[in-house]
Amino acid sequence: MWLKHLVLSFCQWCNNSFFGHGIRDSRWLFPFVEIFHLLALGVLGGTILIVNLRLLGFRFWGESSSELAREVRPWTLGSLAVMLVSGFLLFSTEAVKMYGNWAFQVKMSSLVLAILFTFTIHRKVAMSDESRVSPLWRRLVAVISLVLWAGVGLGGRAIGYVTTSVTSASVWMN
Amino acid sequence: MWFSDFLQWLANTPFSITMRESTWAEPIVETVHVLTLTMFLGFAVLLDLRLLGVCLKRRKVSDVLGKLNPWLFGGFAVMVATGTLLFCADPVSFYSTFFLKAKMVMLVLAGLNVMVFNLTVGRKVAEWDLDPKTPRGAKVVGVVSIMLWVLIVAAGRAIAYVLPPP
Repeated sequence: MWLKHLVLSFCQWCNNSFFGHGIRDSRWLFPFVEIFHLLALGVLGGTILIVNLRLLGFRFWGESSSELAREVRPWTLGSLAVMLVSGFLLFSTEAVKMYGNWAFQVKMSSLVLAILFTFTIHRKVAMSDESRVSPLWRRLVAVISLVLWAGVGLGGRAIGYVTTSVTSASVWMN
Repeated sequence: MWFSDFLQWLANTPFSITMRESTWAEPIVETVHVLTLTMFLGFAVLLDLRLLGVCLKRRKVSDVLGKLNPWLFGGFAVMVATGTLLFCADPVSFYSTFFLKAKMVMLVLAGLNVMVFNLTVGRKVAEWDLDPKTPRGAKVVGVVSIMLWVLIVAAGRAIAYVLPPP
């Protein structure tokens, strides 16, 4: 229960913060931040997809997957950073509403899993010598990565379509 | 005024009415549009970064082009198809927005940019295929491409903002 309380307090703090307020009250700031979110989505999705396609067996440039992974890595990390910052700003405009939105919960759970997976197992397999990892294992890792990131994307898409009852969260607070 | 008549006629076709009134059509088509964007935009940026000599530096430009082109053309076809479907849901309102027209103009410019590349520096790609430092013409094409896609995404986002889905 204390965790729920903590998360909800955090959401309320975001809602009332100067950036939450500022973006909510401005006519153009929200779409402006959203554009950055979308552009970074393109780069993040593209770089993750290309490494996973390589793991699945598509030979892009005949090189090892580790070489390709290393090359696109700065772009993956940079775009992920932009995604997280812009996503947090968008979230802060209606944080309490998001708290009760199941699509948002799906998105955040997938995101945590996707990031953990990307920086541990996925990274290890993508960066390792091809002869040391079986093709089956490589494909499995790519599929898991794609499923987790798709969960983030689809959850995000669904947020706007889910109607949430803000009251249940606020009633619970009282 | 035949064009506005055409849009009006389109809006009244059973297909357009279905797109507009169905609960699932719009979200599904838009999800496909956005998911394909992640592939198309990401790969287009990777290609542009190679043209700028920033990423994938040690790969042959012709190789990067050859391997990415099928994905880019496939992705673009899906983007155009799903975009057209979304447009059909409410052609009159969509056409009335400034951002839709701006987006269409910029898409044409992006196509012209590709043509310019193919007719100029792209034709002599064998001469600089492996150079990490690319010729100025290639850099210009890369920068123009990135700028156009940024503006196209922004315009697309703005369309939905001034014209929320029904």
